Amino acid sequence: MTPKNNIIIGIIIALVVVASYNVDANPLEFAKGLPNLAIVAEEMFLVEPKYIPTALWAMFETIQMAFIGTVVGTAIALPLSMLAARNLNSKYVYAPVRALLAAIRTFPSILWAILFVIMVGLGTFAGVLAIVMYTVGFVAKLQYEAIETIDSDPMDAVNSIGVSKWQLIRYVVIPESASHLLSQMLYMFDYNVRQTSILGLVGAGGIGFYIINYIKFFEYGKAAIFMLVVLVTVLFIDWASVKIRDKYIIKSQHGMKVITK
Amino acid sequence: MKQIQMTQNPSFSLISTNKIIQMNNVWTSYDSKNFALEGINLSISRGTNYAIVGQSGSGKSTLLKLMNGMMIPSKGTIKIDYVTPNINNKKFKKMMHTIGYIPQSLGLVKNITVLENILIGALPRLTKLQSLFKKFPESEIQEAKRIMSLVGLSGKEDRKAYMLSGGEKRRVAIARALMQKPTILLADEIVSELDHVTAREIMNLIADAQKRMNLTAIMVHHDMQLALEYANRVAVIKEGRKILEIGVEGDTIVDFQTGDLNTEEIMEMYSDDTKK
Repeated sequence: MTPKNNIIIGIIIALVVVASYNVDANPLEFAKGLPNLAIVAEEMFLVEPKYIPTALWAMFETIQMAFIGTVVGTAIALPLSMLAARNLNSKYVYAPVRALLAAIRTFPSILWAILFVIMVGLGTFAGVLAIVMYTVGFVAKLQYEAIETIDSDPMDAVNSIGVSKWQLIRYVVIPESASHLLSQMLYMFDYNVRQTSILGLVGAGGIGFYIINYIKFFEYGKAAIFMLVVLVTVLFIDWASVKIRDKYIIKSQHGMKVITK
Repeated sequence: MKQIQMTQNPSFSLISTNKIIQMNNVWTSYDSKNFALEGINLSISRGTNYAIVGQSGSGKSTLLKLMNGMMIPSKGTIKIDYVTPNINNKKFKKMMHTIGYIPQSLGLVKNITVLENILIGALPRLTKLQSLFKKFPESEIQEAKRIMSLVGLSGKEDRKAYMLSGGEKRRVAIARALMQKPTILLADEIVSELDHVTAREIMNLIADAQKRMNLTAIMVHHDMQLALEYANRVAVIKEGRKILEIGVEGDTIVDFQTGDLNTEEIMEMYSDDTKK
């Protein structure tokens, strides 16, 4: 390691220390707070079992919100991604669409949720709308990037038949990018379940709504039970989507069979 | 012998004087300094099986792209059936419906079936709604199946394109082009990566279709022997210039500049010119 590198590392460490002091991030406080976790864990066991069905139902509601948001968001994102792809459109079409999509992505979903709570009131619908917006911004970006990486050979060959742009999209662009789309939808659904779980914090429904309310009333045990349900569900969805991806999507992308033990 | 043929089929001589492709002093460049083609003159009669031979980088693929309007020359004029090829020209775009083009990469859509790939050739004949919902008329499907049996693909309708062998992929590309009911067939080094037997099979397939449909076939090769075997006329391109154009009539080869030559002399000339 050169002296120059040592100086750089030293400066970075110094910056972290100074910044920690500024924001009151004291590791000692963390150590002192650890026993509190034990208290929460203890409270968890004191929670009556009748809350578990409520937690599961709230989680189911959250999953449904994420599902609607993913499907509707993707449906809106698809035509936008076709307009945003550089290999299908002129600059005058793709540039404004890309700018719009970038603007949508600038907002994290929780800010969209606040906006929609103001628009349509508290509740799950605001949450669904927030997830739709977030999905539109992201899936459209992932999808136009996938379209831009499509092999240009079939595009050129089919174009040379003199087909219309819509025929080109229907018979080359969609089939060649469809496997990416499925994989993106799975990824997005997975991600949206996590997102939707916290949208309740701003009153946009889902399991997060229960969690924030229990925390407000210092019922940490109940809040912990609900958080545990989120954790287990997310882990399960993550595992399931990896399985689905391996089984159906990777195979169709590479044209070979994936050997699974 | 030649005389008898012409009197037996008087329309043949009439059609053969009809130049379907004409190129006059065509230059193309990728930038302002380097030219891919330098002053090409070509004139191809309707119904000819025409071969363009040259090494890689000689500009032969560019020639095909100029003929189907995917590229525009920087200088000179091209006429396909008296129309200037350009994909943005509406009249030519209609003509593209019947110009079959098989690029070297074949350009198949990997994730759809063999039948769907072939039916793409019929897309210009479909209405907007039919093509949106993939509703091909029964007659088109029957035609696709007929062509499939012609090119030896029967029973492989539902196979995905990515699952096929190299030879099968070429058959699909040919079938897609034939599905266009083409008047011109352009093929870029379609057999160069195949073994001898498969290459001959594919070439015979195209030669058959060419004769039966009275197509004008323009095929790019880098193998002179193959070109002489199948084409009526062969142009040799080197570094963007046409250095030789010969007619092939049975065993006799006619050089349009120096008179009659035999195959060996041509092969020698070709190898001298291209391998120097």
